[in-house]
Amino acid sequence: MVVIESSGITDVGIKRANNEDALFLDDKMKLYLVADGMGGHQAGEIASHLVVETIIDYMNNYCDRKSDFINHDKTLSSEANRLLSGIILSNRKVYEASQSNENYRGMGSTISALYVSDDTLITANVGDSPIYLIHNGSINLLSIPHTMVAEQASLFPKGSAKLGDEYKHILTRAIGIEKNVNADICEMHYYQGDTIVIASDGLSDKVQPDEIMDIVTNEEPDKACASLVNMANDRGGDDNITSIVVKVKKVLNKKQRIKGLLSKLANTFIKKD
Amino acid sequence: MPVLTLKFKNEFIKDYRLGKGQSMTIGRRNDSNMIIENLAVSGSHAKIDSVGDGFVLTDLQSKNGSFVNDELIASHWLKNGDVITIGKHTILFNYTGGEEIPDEKIGDMNQTMALRSDKYKEMIAKNVPDGAEEIISEKSVAGSLSFLSGGEGEIALDKKITKIGKASTCDIVAKGFSVGKVSATISKRPDGYFFNYVEGSKPKINGKAIDQSVKLNDFDVIEIGSIKVNFVVKES
Repeated sequence: MVVIESSGITDVGIKRANNEDALFLDDKMKLYLVADGMGGHQAGEIASHLVVETIIDYMNNYCDRKSDFINHDKTLSSEANRLLSGIILSNRKVYEASQSNENYRGMGSTISALYVSDDTLITANVGDSPIYLIHNGSINLLSIPHTMVAEQASLFPKGSAKLGDEYKHILTRAIGIEKNVNADICEMHYYQGDTIVIASDGLSDKVQPDEIMDIVTNEEPDKACASLVNMANDRGGDDNITSIVVKVKKVLNKKQRIKGLLSKLANTFIKKD
Repeated sequence: MPVLTLKFKNEFIKDYRLGKGQSMTIGRRNDSNMIIENLAVSGSHAKIDSVGDGFVLTDLQSKNGSFVNDELIASHWLKNGDVITIGKHTILFNYTGGEEIPDEKIGDMNQTMALRSDKYKEMIAKNVPDGAEEIISEKSVAGSLSFLSGGEGEIALDKKITKIGKASTCDIVAKGFSVGKVSATISKRPDGYFFNYVEGSKPKINGKAIDQSVKLNDFDVIEIGSIKVNFVVKES
């Protein structure tokens, strides 16, 4: 049992006419998604929304049939496999749409997803929309940025300096560009007080991780989201800005649940007396 | 050479031919190359310059702005099929058939774009001449647990999450009266391996009781109930 409080907003920013970001959050499903679309003539918008809708649909309809997993990776839990399958399916949908309609050719999207199961949290990402974990006063990236600059930096620490700013927005992986896609997954135990932030690069380009930690630690999710978006807009708002803040308010393990039930029962008996 | 087609609310007005090395000014003033008589258009609204093989559209700090494919721009490298919007007028930028369209990679790098993996390898080959081969084999870090007592051999941490505890469903089973069904988990994260306490008696790392999430370091000694293991990292 886990009690979660979350909030999310997306903002067009200052420089762009369209919002190509899409987001989804649902504390009942415990599913949180941010997709950042790309491609001209509204195609980016279509791609990001198609990704989000496909994943929601998959997570809703295929939840208990393991045989339906498109993907089955033995090193992952069934919950992680389920999320990964939803992502793979969304890649197929966007790829097919871009192949069948001239106006959609070349469109794509990032996806960053969080799924909270009873005892672990699972994150998955394709592209450069960051997923941060704030735990015990530190902030860490749970996603892997699939950008040319980041991949170069990890492969050739010395050579990456050669790549200028113009490479910052080049993704090495995205949903819908190729027939198949590989997502990076992270699965871990979580604690009361943990906070997860999922954003689009419109936020992370403008607001530093330490600033994000500061805001989400001191403000409730809805206020924190507004503060983050305002900060990015104050600093230029060059791109669409999206942020989802998810706070783990309470974690009850099995023993605590039974204890809670017992004390509730005891209370009702006392009341009757 | 490309052609600019001026339209007002979808009605064709005029075609303009752009030549290499030529500039074209757009505005309400009658000395503009492309005159648009409309109050939404500034006197000198925008201009298009020929740069190298391509063409750049620059907004001349106009009052109502210039848009390309519905996005406000200050300057923009024009691509085949771009739609420029100035007030209620649209200008289509198209290359006429039978000519070479310049590489779209020039210029506009502010837009997010995704590379197909074949293109990516091509670009890497140009930028990192010695690294073209290396990129294919990504460097990976693999952690493992090697038994000091309570078991034998080495267990590779190749799962995203490895569970240790009393329950038989755990990846590594540790005996002991107060050991939790799942005592702790080890997660493989982008920033390393993390040891997370879950329930029951507190496991120890290097002799210190753990009730939280901690990053594992090479040669850490983990004790849970009956087992004692060494965390080891290998780079491959």
